[in-house]
Amino acid sequence: MNRELKDLVHRHREIAREEKKENGRLVFGTLCSYVPVEILHAFDILPVRLWGDGKNHERADTLLPTYICPPARNIMAMGLAGQYDFLDGVIHSYTCDATCGLFNIWCRNLKPAFSFLLSPPYMNTDEAVAYCITEFKALIAALEDYTGKQYSAERLRKSIKLYDAARERIGAIYQANRNGATVRYLDLYQMNLALQVLPIERVVPFYDAYLSNLRMSPGKGAKHRIMISGSVVSDPDILARIEELGGDIVVDDTCLGYRLVQQRVPPHEDPLSALARYYLDRPPCSSRADFPARKEYIRETISAFDVNAVIFMHQKFCEPHLADHPFLKNVLAEKGIPQVQFELDGEGLTGQIQTRLEGFFEMLEVK
Amino acid sequence: MEGEKARKRLQANTALRQIITDFYAEGHRAKAERRPVIWIPPMNGLIELFYAMGITPVFPENWAPLCAAIGTNRKNFEYAAQRGFSGDLCGYFRNNVGYALDGINEENQPLNGLPAPDFLISFGAGCIPTMKAFQVMCDHFKVPVFKADLPQVAMEKIEKRHIAYGVAQIKRLIRFLEDETGLKFDIDKLRQAVIHTNEACRLWDEIMATRSTIPSPFSAAEIGIMFVMVTRHGTEIAVNFLRDVLQEVNEKVARGEGVIPHEKIRLFWDNIPLWYNMQLFNYFEKWDAVVVAETYTSAWSLRLNPDEPLESIAYKSLVSYPLVSCVSLNKRIELITRAVRDYKIDGAILHSNRSCRPISMGQMDIQRVLAEELSVPSVMFDGDHMDGEKFSMAQFQTRIDALMEMILEKKRVS
Repeated sequence: MNRELKDLVHRHREIAREEKKENGRLVFGTLCSYVPVEILHAFDILPVRLWGDGKNHERADTLLPTYICPPARNIMAMGLAGQYDFLDGVIHSYTCDATCGLFNIWCRNLKPAFSFLLSPPYMNTDEAVAYCITEFKALIAALEDYTGKQYSAERLRKSIKLYDAARERIGAIYQANRNGATVRYLDLYQMNLALQVLPIERVVPFYDAYLSNLRMSPGKGAKHRIMISGSVVSDPDILARIEELGGDIVVDDTCLGYRLVQQRVPPHEDPLSALARYYLDRPPCSSRADFPARKEYIRETISAFDVNAVIFMHQKFCEPHLADHPFLKNVLAEKGIPQVQFELDGEGLTGQIQTRLEGFFEMLEVK
Repeated sequence: MEGEKARKRLQANTALRQIITDFYAEGHRAKAERRPVIWIPPMNGLIELFYAMGITPVFPENWAPLCAAIGTNRKNFEYAAQRGFSGDLCGYFRNNVGYALDGINEENQPLNGLPAPDFLISFGAGCIPTMKAFQVMCDHFKVPVFKADLPQVAMEKIEKRHIAYGVAQIKRLIRFLEDETGLKFDIDKLRQAVIHTNEACRLWDEIMATRSTIPSPFSAAEIGIMFVMVTRHGTEIAVNFLRDVLQEVNEKVARGEGVIPHEKIRLFWDNIPLWYNMQLFNYFEKWDAVVVAETYTSAWSLRLNPDEPLESIAYKSLVSYPLVSCVSLNKRIELITRAVRDYKIDGAILHSNRSCRPISMGQMDIQRVLAEELSVPSVMFDGDHMDGEKFSMAQFQTRIDALMEMILEKKRVS
């Protein structure tokens, strides 16, 4: 993939600092994928997803118990180390208990000038959409108050269009991957992450360039078509090892990937209504889904991407995913799809994970 | 270690034992008489609705402490593990899922176990383990399921629009219950239930306030009285019981009778107790120390308005979980700060609870406030409210003893 995008992703905190310094933009950290970044963008705020790789989290031990998932501890550690000292605000849209706790502890200790806890509904009914709009309006009122700017529906429409265009392109790359193009999941991972941490205006040209360079990959058919599932999956080493072992990760069920780009914001004259619909229409994450919804996403995606094996990569102590796993395992067993599960404890590709992956792929070969 | 019971001193415990027995017997009676039984999560406003409609509520989360006290939790954990559930999941989750999926089939369960549900609620609300435990149950029991939706709002941010959404959900639930059971909803019966709950909460606050007197008339060892706040809200049973408790503790206060003869140290407890070892609360007595206030017991420090019964139960549902968890960390710190002053606290014990991340997150901030703003020494120990294997008595004693020595030294110097 384009090395430049990978480099930009790597330097995303630096870039946010530059945006702030050179263009005078406010920068907000976002926790979880349910923060309506389009609204922030419409206020000319740069949203940067707080993203932890689970490593180097010891510094957080002064504020978080050790039985919290490694990415949450890593984010807190980075915050305490000053790596996010450029943030003007932090927003969390309620998903899991650990992230909500992280948000509150972050606000209490790092004292961002602006903070907001968004409380979206769990359902997707007309009533829920109407309520969700009131939450968005409360956020807008707080942003108006903080920035001194007026909300503009027109600006929001433009922001939605930008994000939609980016999501559409990543969605197209997933589809190309599904159809046998030369896509590496490691590239998709970087592009997904770019969408979350870089200025939206800068990422779309990279996606276009990637799409235009895609060719059919003759050797792909021989590989095992893998879905990965978990919350925060941020270990490129593990993803690379899966590829080396003969796995082609064609789709995912994570906090970062396909669920977020699968759908477009529906056309509606009121952009807030459209946005509420989009966030509630998306296949919900484990923390916001009931079992039937989880089953629906897994079954439909497996079928749409012709997946023949699933790798569950669960963050240690991640209660929503750990609680879903036995159920999903049964869902997969019903369809005869093999699966393996391991936990990530902030140590990347450990020997134990290697062994499990190797054993799993050997089993797939025999199968 | 598990199943260690506290030494209780309130006479009200005799009545409480009967209330507990009656509660579980009532569930079985309802089942036998083919009256509807519903399993619901605790600490929300739906209990009033169910009692008002003549539907028997059962609370697996209340069943879990009972299993821990009796010792059947270990078997339920085993069942959960056999089903593939991780040992890192909350102990309530593991116990309740293990029980619901397999333990329920065992004979000779304490109090005859739980009657199987006729309906279930799949929650979008409360903590993740509760929500997920109910999803497991919904998948397992082939009964009608009501999908509930209650957004997670910080307590201090609850507005009319949140309550309005809660009311809309409750109206949807009423339609579901009427359709499924043929029973009719009567707003006046709900109003009466709300009156009972409001009175129970008022009495609860008054009972808790008696502990601000020195010596305190009772300690955290008596915390089982909250059974009525979890299971009997909306009924006269809670009100009558709490009136008796209040009278008993008031009499103790009038006589100047403390829970121990020579109270010297007053303690605050943060997080859920270790249900399998309630005797811990007696351990402090060797230091003439008493736990006189807790975070958990403040979950019912709320008032409802009988003139707006639907709004009241929606508010109760919205507020119960954030009040004691990290959804409202600042509010929780305010609550503790107030308690430290009102209850004249000398020291605090923070249970870092592997089974409850929402309550355990933020404890380091609490500890800092205690030290830096309130000059209250504190200690944190590792434990688990359901699983004795994740608790070390030796670590607990060492830390508590050090804290007590520190407090005594501080008192001596001052």
